[in-house]
Amino acid sequence: MDQLGYYLATLVVYFFVYNILVWGLNIQFGVAGILDFTYITFFAIGAYTAGVLTNGPAAATNQHYILGLNWPFLVAMCVAAGVSALAGLALGGVALRRLRSDYLAIVMVSVGTIVFDLIANNPNLFNGNDGLGGVPSPFNDFLQLDPNTYLYFFVVFSGVIMVALGLLAHRLTSSPLGRSMRAIREDLEVAEAFGKNSTRIRLIAMMIGCAYAAIGGALLIAFISAISPSGWLPPETFVIFAALLIGGRANNLGAVVGALLIPVVFVEATRFLPKWPSNPELGAALRNIAIGGLIIATLWFRPQGLLPERRWRWKGPLPAMTHGSPDA
Amino acid sequence: MSTLVLAVGFGLVTASVLAIAAIGLTLQVGVTNLVNFAFADFLTLGAYLAWSLNSGWHLNFWFSLVFASVAVGGVAVAANVFVIRPFLRRRTPIVFLLIVTIGLSLILGNLNLAIWGSGYRSYDLSPEQPIHLGPLEFTNNQLVIIAISVAVMVAVRLLLTQTKLGKAMRSMSDNIDLARASGIDTDRVTHVVWMLSGTLAGLAGVVLALNLTTFDTGLGSNILFVIFAAMILGGVGSPSGAILAAVVLGLATEVSAAFVNSGYKNDIAFLALLVVLMVRPQGIVRMAGKN
Repeated sequence: MDQLGYYLATLVVYFFVYNILVWGLNIQFGVAGILDFTYITFFAIGAYTAGVLTNGPAAATNQHYILGLNWPFLVAMCVAAGVSALAGLALGGVALRRLRSDYLAIVMVSVGTIVFDLIANNPNLFNGNDGLGGVPSPFNDFLQLDPNTYLYFFVVFSGVIMVALGLLAHRLTSSPLGRSMRAIREDLEVAEAFGKNSTRIRLIAMMIGCAYAAIGGALLIAFISAISPSGWLPPETFVIFAALLIGGRANNLGAVVGALLIPVVFVEATRFLPKWPSNPELGAALRNIAIGGLIIATLWFRPQGLLPERRWRWKGPLPAMTHGSPDA
Repeated sequence: MSTLVLAVGFGLVTASVLAIAAIGLTLQVGVTNLVNFAFADFLTLGAYLAWSLNSGWHLNFWFSLVFASVAVGGVAVAANVFVIRPFLRRRTPIVFLLIVTIGLSLILGNLNLAIWGSGYRSYDLSPEQPIHLGPLEFTNNQLVIIAISVAVMVAVRLLLTQTKLGKAMRSMSDNIDLARASGIDTDRVTHVVWMLSGTLAGLAGVVLALNLTTFDTGLGSNILFVIFAAMILGGVGSPSGAILAAVVLGLATEVSAAFVNSGYKNDIAFLALLVVLMVRPQGIVRMAGKN
């Protein structure tokens, strides 16, 4: 029974982390329309930054990595979000300015591949392909909980962060800034004609989404206490895209539904299918085929996703109309 | 010095493989105006189909190569007819079309993995002998690859300039509505373009696998973005640009591997791509309306 509790608690943490990731992508793609095909790279930047900030010096372990400052987790998490947002700013500043969607997607994946290669081939940065490990659990050096109790603490801890980020995402999408992002997504020229600085607003969306990805990454590395390049290969971005598209694009609650359905239910449920002896990859391959098929089927039959984007309505007459209009 | 010379030799072979793939991609993107992320999986599929025919059924390698290439062409046409064209008919915005090609890539790529598994494969061929051409050294298979590539370049050029079909392709690439208004059967030409692009992709996959001697399911994905780089560097829709870009990138990636860690080989191509997109997005050979 305890095993089951342990397993379910782990699933809940993954669910919370994926919520954060899908919300971030929703801000970039769902609301602002930026085709970020390298979203997982920002997750990795967040995870690695948090890892090297909270870890002790590298000389004490048999890994190689930079920094190693033993900072408290929350500080490291905020710094990781900042670093990732700056990376998003750098990439967006170069790419978002004048490229059409398909070239933008190609540039993004290319940069993501360069980053991946840099990390994997430079063992001195983040321990290369062996991965960064030994990351301490947040708050545990003064709570001193045993692993089972700590797990439940972490569920609550990540849940609080998740709820805070969810409320923030909701505030953002209901705000005038969110409205501008949607306007730019729908028709960039019209939005610019209304005086919106589309580059600046898209960069803001990019940065916020990257920050979300980084926080998700920081939480996950603190939970698993390790990360390696094989954990953030390019196809991971598309699992998150699938979750967003199926759950409901531009809808924060839809993002939660998608995060529950795809990374949690679908991926975890299929993990228990027996392995085919001659082809151990078969399960994973079939799962990815199903995800590809789900993406295409969703875009064909229900492109808005399960929970469609909210239709925004004015509650009463527009204020200007009640003041001396000729027909009033 | 001799590593540099060897690298130039490798570069020429890589350039030949890249050229075949880049011509296929640039023709397809030029005519259909849709960047196809599943292109990598056409390459991988071609390599594996040829492997099944060659190592599995013990057929002659060159026959397997031809058969596999044509089969992949068929798969490409099917992908267009059953997946892409319905979305195009619905006037789906391009952003979602790109995601559809990603979905297609997930399906095809993992189908390869599901059918053939994750191990490394090689073709069943007679052992290679080195051949010296001046200071450069090649194996006989590599010379065949270069010869195939040159043949493809010549054939495509003849197709585009001397045949009515080629003229139709060029006009669709330039302005599709005007082409339709001029009475060109754009549907039929689109089928042919997908067939051609798929066949070239399959062919490129087989010769790439031949060049690497062992390959796994990552074959196409490892090189996809270098092919994109060649297409954009050369100017979308221009086969001659693609050839030029393939030579530049092929030589650049191989020669750079002589100086830096070979894990960064492809990253040189990506840097070139970024520079081109910032400085001259229309590529080396400018094609009107393709920016």
